[in-house]
Amino acid sequence: MRRVAVLGIGETAMGKYPEKTLRDLILEAGTKALADAGMDRAEIQALYIGNFNGSHFCRQSHVGPLAAETLQLGLIPAVRTEGACASGSMAFRLGYQAVACGIYDAVLVGGVEKMTHCQTEYVTEGLATAADADLEVPVGVTFPSVFALMANRYFHEFGNARDAMAWCAVQNHENALLNPDAQLKKRITVEDVKNGTPIADPFTIYDCSLVTDGAVFAVLAESSLARSLSRKRLVEVVGCAQAGDAISMASKNSLTTLAATVKAANEAYIMAGLKPADIDLAEVHDCFTITEILNIEDLGFFAKGTGARAILSGATARDGRKPINVSGGLKAKGHPIGATGLSQIYEIVTQLRHEAGERQVMKADIGLTHNLGGSAATCIVSIFRGR
Amino acid sequence: MEDRKGTLYTYTVIHSAMDEFKSQVPYVVGLLEEEDGKRTVARVEGYRIGKPIRIGMTVACSRVDENGRRVYRFID
Repeated sequence: MRRVAVLGIGETAMGKYPEKTLRDLILEAGTKALADAGMDRAEIQALYIGNFNGSHFCRQSHVGPLAAETLQLGLIPAVRTEGACASGSMAFRLGYQAVACGIYDAVLVGGVEKMTHCQTEYVTEGLATAADADLEVPVGVTFPSVFALMANRYFHEFGNARDAMAWCAVQNHENALLNPDAQLKKRITVEDVKNGTPIADPFTIYDCSLVTDGAVFAVLAESSLARSLSRKRLVEVVGCAQAGDAISMASKNSLTTLAATVKAANEAYIMAGLKPADIDLAEVHDCFTITEILNIEDLGFFAKGTGARAILSGATARDGRKPINVSGGLKAKGHPIGATGLSQIYEIVTQLRHEAGERQVMKADIGLTHNLGGSAATCIVSIFRGR
Repeated sequence: MEDRKGTLYTYTVIHSAMDEFKSQVPYVVGLLEEEDGKRTVARVEGYRIGKPIRIGMTVACSRVDENGRRVYRFID
């Protein structure tokens, strides 16, 4: 396997862009990534783009060639990936594998989603397609309720984590205040979270990630090629693994340990020759506040059942010993479904290059991204190292 | 049918629903363990705001809906 580096990154600010098209979002983020890479677009040999549900939200399928045309990439193969909220990381992983295996020297990977122009119920329906359409949705299951089932089970097994969940939201909102690309720049309190509009017990609106429009792209290149083209700190992909689990809640062995995260993380750590303790900072999939707690345990940062305490102790704060979601996370930077995995990678690469400005983490040499799809039925964990 | 019981493995009360279920909020969805040990996601009827719900409580099958799915209800 060859070494692969992230040569260029680009993203739109996350937000609500009812007046913009998928094309507009792709053009802005893709052009930025190509410019950041300093690479001629003629050198890009393939495109992989994550898009969860353009067919529903925008009545647009076949997003691969849409993006290739928009970015004037000519006749290269263009692949759209779909893995619910992990669609973006799936595109990243396929691009990574193709370069690592020597099939291509340079590829563009990205993600795009546009959904804020839709009515809330239509968005809820679109998101629910990530759950089991036969066994769950007809019963009245919504996407937040899938994770609410996990939260109540977590409380039963490990004690009430309501305060820590609320603190996840508060902390991610604080972090987003320092991120110019974050969708929501609003300080909130634990009481705001607990007293918010109820969605699915124990979640209020503040426990849920955002509905977001956005696009993110990255240029991946074989490492020596990347080094020859860039004067920035080289950020290499040192681990990247995907694992799966049952889509239906009833078929999962555990609702408080997400098996796909554990497996993907273990494989990524082995590939990188690293341990959880070696990770300086991580962007983890906080689709709901309870998920951030599950993730930091399943990734091995904190023992199972101790994540809530760790969060309340400040360990995951920007200046804590394991900074989590310094971008603001899905909760406050935003959750442009198909682009979310790339949005996490954008933050880690920015941090490892020491280009994160006010929100720069002091020690940023090794970073991890963790991206879940659906009810944690897909998980992709990637590890990056600045050289 | 009335005799068929399930145990709440976990649950949630849904307040924000899709159009089709909007008129029914708040409603309870449970992940139940049925008597044969199988888990299933099902509606549990008979919820009213303020009703205490506990994981491990027994619920009874009350009917089968139009799609052939068992619907449960709280019995205490």
